[in-house]
Amino acid sequence: MEELDLLKKDWKKNENAFPKITEKEIYAMLHKKSSSIVKWIFIISILEILFWSVISFFTADENYLKTLESYHIATLISIFTVINNVVILSFIFLFYINFKRINTTDNVKSLMKSILKTRKTVQYYIWYNLAMIGTIFITIMIASFMYDEKFTRIYKVSGSDQSFMFWVLIIGSTIIFFAILFGLFWLFYRLLYGFLLRRLYKNYEELKKIDL
Amino acid sequence: MNSSLEQSFVSQLEEHQNIIHKICRLYTSDEDSHKDLFQEITIQLWKAFPQFRGEAKFTTWAYRVALNTAITLYRKKTKTVNTIEFDNKIHRFNHEDYNFEEEEQIKLLYKAVHQLNDIEKALVFMYLEDKDYTEIAETLGISEVNARVKMNRIKGKLKKIVNP
Repeated sequence: MEELDLLKKDWKKNENAFPKITEKEIYAMLHKKSSSIVKWIFIISILEILFWSVISFFTADENYLKTLESYHIATLISIFTVINNVVILSFIFLFYINFKRINTTDNVKSLMKSILKTRKTVQYYIWYNLAMIGTIFITIMIASFMYDEKFTRIYKVSGSDQSFMFWVLIIGSTIIFFAILFGLFWLFYRLLYGFLLRRLYKNYEELKKIDL
Repeated sequence: MNSSLEQSFVSQLEEHQNIIHKICRLYTSDEDSHKDLFQEITIQLWKAFPQFRGEAKFTTWAYRVALNTAITLYRKKTKTVNTIEFDNKIHRFNHEDYNFEEEEQIKLLYKAVHQLNDIEKALVFMYLEDKDYTEIAETLGISEVNARVKMNRIKGKLKKIVNP
């Protein structure tokens, strides 16, 4: 007899060997909280969306706006803000649509795909926010080089023979700052979602491998 | 959700609870995890129940949600496992026609199945449940031919573990 058929024989024989769960116990289970990864992805995603919305809300204070005006980029930043709000709303809408499509009665592969798609939407949202921060930061830097008196004074003091070094330092420190910022986010998300989704990725790859 | 829906769900689940127990048996290795997964599957079934139209059999529908929960949704808690102890416990129910050699081989087979990955376990589970390849392929979202090929590989793998 083949191994699996031997196992099947035993499987059938022990079909009713499990301790019986009563209706009362099932009722109690219905009111317990789920700990599924979909629930966690939903909670984390909402927190992420809130976090970035709060950040953009708090940066719009009066002093900040005055500085922008003195740099002559207030209109430009307003355009960025409008674009940003449209993009945030689109992301929230997409996230909602994708989340709604997660269906436990789908086949295993489709379910995994829809979970990963939902997660990817939020991931793109994070990268978008980092890119937006980068763009705004660079715009403000360029404007401050052009219009900030303090900055022009420092530049003059450093002398024209030092100007090459001056620019190397400024551009170099900006690149390092962004590399560290992106690196930290990348690490944080790898740890967070790595912990949550490692098994899902592994199983999804396994299914894809079967169908190659 | 209304109570008659709840009542209908609970009585159907109570009647067919063995499906869930059997999935838990393959995907967990100790009693606590078994209970934990059983509970998560129950919650997921209950959440999906309003969409259950009764066109498919309750069992066919439950198989799919339960497998999806075990493979994809359930977050395993890290704890030390004691596979052999758990399997022995189930085997205590089965003593009438005791055949020592066969019993040892079955124990070894259960141990081998526990070492398979989550997808392979799903294939084995559906095979043990007499599902045909059309249903196995459809449940996993792969082609029927590839489901057969994979099943044959798993059989080979198990043969090697049991007869090294």
